[in-house]
Amino acid sequence: MIRCRRIVAVLVGLAASVSPLGAAQTVPNATLRQAQQAYDNLEYRNVLSLARAALRERLSGPERARAYELLGFTYGAMDSILKAVDAFKQVVLIDPERQLDPNRVSPKAYSAFDVALRQVLLVRQLRLDSVSFIAGRGAAPIRFTVTQPARVVARAIGTAGGGSFVIDSGAWNGQVNLSWPARLSSGDPVPAGNYTVVVDARLGQNTFSASQPIRVIHGRVDTLPYLTSLPGYQYLPETEFPPQTWRPLGLAFLYTGAALIGTVGLESSSLGSGSKREIAVVGSAALITGFVMTLRKPAPRPAAANILYNRLLRDQLARRNQDIAKENIARRQQVQITVEPSLKPAAGAPR
Amino acid sequence: MSRWMAGLGLLALVPLAATSQQVTVSPQFVLASYREVASGLSYQGSGFGGALKARYHKLSAEAIVLRVSLDPQSGSTTTNGFKATEVDAWLDYDVADYASLEVGIIHRTADPEFNAQSLGAVRVGARSTYELGPGASVLFRANYLAAPKFSGGGSASFSLDLGLGLDVRLAGQLHGTAGYSFQRVNRKTNPGGTGEIDVPIQGTAARLGLGLAF
Repeated sequence: MIRCRRIVAVLVGLAASVSPLGAAQTVPNATLRQAQQAYDNLEYRNVLSLARAALRERLSGPERARAYELLGFTYGAMDSILKAVDAFKQVVLIDPERQLDPNRVSPKAYSAFDVALRQVLLVRQLRLDSVSFIAGRGAAPIRFTVTQPARVVARAIGTAGGGSFVIDSGAWNGQVNLSWPARLSSGDPVPAGNYTVVVDARLGQNTFSASQPIRVIHGRVDTLPYLTSLPGYQYLPETEFPPQTWRPLGLAFLYTGAALIGTVGLESSSLGSGSKREIAVVGSAALITGFVMTLRKPAPRPAAANILYNRLLRDQLARRNQDIAKENIARRQQVQITVEPSLKPAAGAPR
Repeated sequence: MSRWMAGLGLLALVPLAATSQQVTVSPQFVLASYREVASGLSYQGSGFGGALKARYHKLSAEAIVLRVSLDPQSGSTTTNGFKATEVDAWLDYDVADYASLEVGIIHRTADPEFNAQSLGAVRVGARSTYELGPGASVLFRANYLAAPKFSGGGSASFSLDLGLGLDVRLAGQLHGTAGYSFQRVNRKTNPGGTGEIDVPIQGTAARLGLGLAF
């Protein structure tokens, strides 16, 4: 007796778990709820009429998926496989991620569901696991399933104008595994930020697109600072003050003397000695200026050796900074990248 | 030498000054003395003038206009003075840091016309300029006065003009300028075809002024 009760209990539990729609009370539409109860009571004729009636009413997306799923299971139980396949096609078109557990549904229904999947172009189960790697030395794995042989393009699209990067493309069918190195063609890592991985499948006129939001995070990069000076080497002043000399006064004497000697030497003997007040005035001014300039600090003049030294120092600094720039580029390209899916669930839609 | 040549020389400065790197304009006070023919014909006086200098790379130009009242010196054989107006212009090309070659003109007129010889000639010569220190320079020039023309006729196979100049930057754009010039012209005439006689001309001038450099 106890054994029989256990078997009944197991069968009841199994029936509840096998039920494709779950508890009937969670269905808000009354007609659909009745169809669910009829299915639970194995009243397949009532299920068909009630489910069709529910589909003629205003239903939400999940409710419509449930109604078609109910029809699919019922047709499967009634050996109407083609009708079951049609019903399951509607289910996967409404909910592409819908998956049946082969251990919990009848082989007929599962087989019909599987045939339905193969007759509709879908990109399902787009998944990207959290992963961290050094740029250039790893990649983020991306996997998805294409239900029909199709031309598929996978892209990562930046959400805030971050650009669009093709991850991979090809003619694929079934389970597809891709690796995204998250690098640009230049070798630089893609900018950190939010992206959406979009997988577009095309087969003739049929297209389907699935997407998965992800986030790309860069680790900290220890770049080298640029040099402004070389340790132990200082820039030298490019001008220098020549030592004070008597040269200005000497030059004033020389020029004034030349003018005076020329004047005296060229004076006409027949005209007599001319006035010297003019040369006296200007010559005195020149000599006084020469004397003052002798006492003044000389004007700075370019220091050729220092200019050459500074040029060499600047060239050396520029070369070092070029090396540092190359090193920093390499370091930035080897940043640790973390790619993780965002909380928003994957979504897909036929177009 | 006609007046239009002098004007042409000044006009040549205008485009150079307009595009130059530095232009200096300075009004000047002038002291001058003048002798002609013999030691008894000597004058001395003063007046005013103006100078304009401009530089553009290796080219530089200078023009001076003087107006001097010259009176007979004591012991002179004449009692009549005259006013002399002189225009000098130079165009220089630097051949070294401190040396340049120059050409120019000189044009001097006397008023009344017959109290002294008017002179016009072409200048050809060289100039040496040297920096005495920051903002101060001294120059010496020697010009040969070629193809001289005189209002009283005659010729001069040997005519020289020597010059001494000083330019000191006093403050900012304010410059002090001084200049000295000495002219010796061996003029010869042949009155009535009786043979050449020497009628030399000799003049000196000192110019002192303040200038503005732009």
